[in-house]
Amino acid sequence: MRVIDVNRIVGPVPTGDVPSNDAPGLLGELDRLAIDAACVVHSHDLYYNPTAAAALPADPRLIRVPVVVPGPLGSTASAKLVRMCPTEHRFPLTGPHGLAAARELSECGTSVLLTLENLGEIHRLATEVPALRIVLINTGYRSLRELADLMDVHPEVRVDTSTLCGHLHVEWIAERYGAHRVLFGTGAPVTDDAGPRFQLDHLELPAADVELIAGGNVLELLG
Amino acid sequence: MIIDAHGHLGSWFAFAIPDSSTESLVRVMDSCGVTTMCVSHLLAIGPDARAGNALLLKEIERFPGRFLGYAVYDPHDPEAAERTADLLAMPGVIGLKLHPDTHEHPLDGPGYQRAFELAAEHDCIVLAHGMFGSPWCGPDRFATVAARHPSVELLMGHAGLFPAGFPAAAEVAVQHPNVTLELCGSRMTARHLAWLVETVGADRMAFGSDALFLDLRVGLGRVQLAPISAADRDQLLFGTMTRLLEARR
Repeated sequence: MRVIDVNRIVGPVPTGDVPSNDAPGLLGELDRLAIDAACVVHSHDLYYNPTAAAALPADPRLIRVPVVVPGPLGSTASAKLVRMCPTEHRFPLTGPHGLAAARELSECGTSVLLTLENLGEIHRLATEVPALRIVLINTGYRSLRELADLMDVHPEVRVDTSTLCGHLHVEWIAERYGAHRVLFGTGAPVTDDAGPRFQLDHLELPAADVELIAGGNVLELLG
Repeated sequence: MIIDAHGHLGSWFAFAIPDSSTESLVRVMDSCGVTTMCVSHLLAIGPDARAGNALLLKEIERFPGRFLGYAVYDPHDPEAAERTADLLAMPGVIGLKLHPDTHEHPLDGPGYQRAFELAAEHDCIVLAHGMFGSPWCGPDRFATVAARHPSVELLMGHAGLFPAGFPAAAEVAVQHPNVTLELCGSRMTARHLAWLVETVGADRMAFGSDALFLDLRVGLGRVQLAPISAADRDQLLFGTMTRLLEARR
């Protein structure tokens, strides 16, 4: 089973001294937790300048996830998986620029990581750009009803497991919507990696579903 | 053997728990090796301590050997002291659960004074919800009650809950030998946990999951895969709670 973390940060973060300060440190953490690869956003892109992609050494286990900021003050990226951070980078997700960027991503077959912050905005985005593949990340353990509201009507909305840590929530999502809509993620180092990794090995799901969650689904998104 | 120091039975209003059956919790416990879980009932923490505590006793009886109970002490119930004293005499009940945030009463306030006195009289454990920044149960209030009731073993639930509060929680545990940090919470990471072990010592900390409020496997995995020694891991998973429980027999 290939295990790929869809939601990881590399580089220093403002809230602590972390092993993943650099690429070798992150690779050491992945080894320690038996994670084969990770889709990584550079912390400089998140917390410093989202319009200038920070340098990251090439490594086949680290799949770069560029940050996209819509509009004339933003940046685009050519990748199969990108991240948009409307709250951190202060742009309206479903304003004219946001929707234009989303349509462009959709047309290019690019998937987008989005934090579940504004349910209405994500609902509008998925309605306006229904073919856009959205992976909701960092959803928290209290959001299952909100997730159900989105996932019932938007088939291209998926969810990661980073903070999907309510009692058997992963199983409920996988059984109702299909395991193809759940992706293993951690959000580390901001959120915990050990818990979701252990959870992955103990899911009450068929082995084929676990393989999809562990890495099969993200590989499909990455083409 | 793994002992979970902080668990719950029942359901909760603020988010969905699709399967809140005790059977589902026992099934997950079995799948990842948790022998015993120390639990309170969420109905008791929420609106109805009397009914919730009664359900707790039924579930302890229904699953022999799997659960130990904390009776919830409602600081607003004028009969709480008598009712709780009766509960502490029941088989399987090991202590009291206090939730100052839900009951909106400070941990060191007058409504809980009798709870701590009962705990001292019955030589039982007190698990209290702890949350850095809370007006009701920040680490500073644990310091106050720990000093006031030095014979009571006090578990600080969530070790302060937020990363910004872990240093304050650690400081309270270092200063007060009757305070043990319990480790569950959605903001805790394995890295934070390792820092707490290094700062406080694993013998002053205990694994808890907050299941079935949270996913047991996530909390347990944080300990199982944390960058700590095997001896410290064992101490967190059963050593500390074994010591606290055996001292009370």
